[in-house]
Amino acid sequence: MNNILEVNALKKDFGTFRIDNVNFSLQEGCITGFIGINGAGKTTIIKSILGLVIKDSGSIKLFGKEIDKNERELKNRIGVVLDEGYFYENMTMSEMKSIIATAYSKWDESVFKSYIESFKLKLNQKISTLSKGMRMKYGIALALSHHADLLIMDEPTSGLDPLVRSELMDIILDFIKEYGKSVFFSTHITSDLDKVADVLILIDKGKIMLSEEKDILLDTHGLVKGDKNVLNDHTRKLFLSLNETEYGFEGITKQKTSVREQMNGVLIERPTIENIMLAYIGAK
Amino acid sequence: MLFSLVKKDFILGKNYLLILLVFAVVGPIYMTTAINFSSGGFLNFFPIALLIEFMLIGTVSMAEDKYRGSTLLCTTPYTRNSLVKARYIFILIIFFCNYIIYTIMTFVVPIGIDKLDVFTLGISLLFLIVFFGISMPIEYRFGYEKMKYISLCIIMLFFFVVPNIVKWLISNNIRFKISIPFSPIIQNLFPYVLALVIGLISMSLSIGIYSKKNL
Repeated sequence: MNNILEVNALKKDFGTFRIDNVNFSLQEGCITGFIGINGAGKTTIIKSILGLVIKDSGSIKLFGKEIDKNERELKNRIGVVLDEGYFYENMTMSEMKSIIATAYSKWDESVFKSYIESFKLKLNQKISTLSKGMRMKYGIALALSHHADLLIMDEPTSGLDPLVRSELMDIILDFIKEYGKSVFFSTHITSDLDKVADVLILIDKGKIMLSEEKDILLDTHGLVKGDKNVLNDHTRKLFLSLNETEYGFEGITKQKTSVREQMNGVLIERPTIENIMLAYIGAK
Repeated sequence: MLFSLVKKDFILGKNYLLILLVFAVVGPIYMTTAINFSSGGFLNFFPIALLIEFMLIGTVSMAEDKYRGSTLLCTTPYTRNSLVKARYIFILIIFFCNYIIYTIMTFVVPIGIDKLDVFTLGISLLFLIVFFGISMPIEYRFGYEKMKYISLCIIMLFFFVVPNIVKWLISNNIRFKISIPFSPIIQNLFPYVLALVIGLISMSLSIGIYSKKNL
């Protein structure tokens, strides 16, 4: 599989916060979930990829080409949905669309209209009167109406109800069915990724903690539960995170085989993405 | 592409276009009666044009500051350069719209509003470009909020103080005459060329500032 996006040695220092030597790549045809807690650096990295934040150093390649040197050509192939929308709210959806559409060489008005119809939006409605879910749908319609190859979304499900979130995940799954399409979206709502993600990238405090296929991640890690008496200095080292209570313990391990061998009577379950995320970022 | 971005600015300012149109019509009449002195049309035209530009650009800048729509536009194939260029083109279009309305008023209104000759129009354009040539890079650097207070002071100063200064100069028989030792054609073209140079320098500065800004 080709790498559709390659980020190498990305650095950005804001003084109070820093993105430090970030390296990752996205594979073509995959849905990559970019997870981390609030303030981890997800939005900063996405904005750096899009050229909204000026990086201090590093290279960003899209479809094998440096984005700095091929900006117009590459942005024609990306659809973007930002968390805050960044729409001119005193405009109608139709007015906003008329400005966005002319930027793209492959804008497809029929595709846009079909999305608007299926989302039950009215183009003459002012953007300021839209609910959060409607704005997200409108953003999706704009992002998917120019035959983009890569869909980048920053916290698209933030603040949305479960029904709309589920609809969005279905839209993403529909989009990815077409050959050569890829999706990259950031979220701190890990349950969304359980449904759709192929690859997970975890970021914390401006650093990439892991980048792995979701199924491999879930297979290689285990949620271990058992009695406290099996814990000692040696067995504690087998865990990425450990939560001990009066009655027992619960922990995440990447060494399931060793745990089985050294700790009798414990239960090893399949963890959730949230369990793994919290284990890596050091929370209980 | 630039056309859509200029259209964007018109849409952002559309709520005030009608009021400013009325002002463009009424303003020269007021200035003619207030000054009661022939300045070749400069003092009848320029303060009005500057105020209209200031209010319209201010409205657009305020909307940009509030909604940050240019952030989304920068994720599209629109470049930051084109966003800046479109703003300068918008300023020029508004100026020439003002000129057209003023010229119509000189023919329509019976009180004798001075017609603008080529040289006076050029001087007006030059002064406008100097004003926005300084304020636009400052706005791109420091933001609309800080810039608006400075701009407002300068505008008010020009609008209310300058006519009184002119009246004083006239009453004391003080006149300024600058002669450029070239043919009339060159003299007429000179302010336009200077305005173009200053405008291009300002636009380059604005592009440089905006290209380094985190959105």
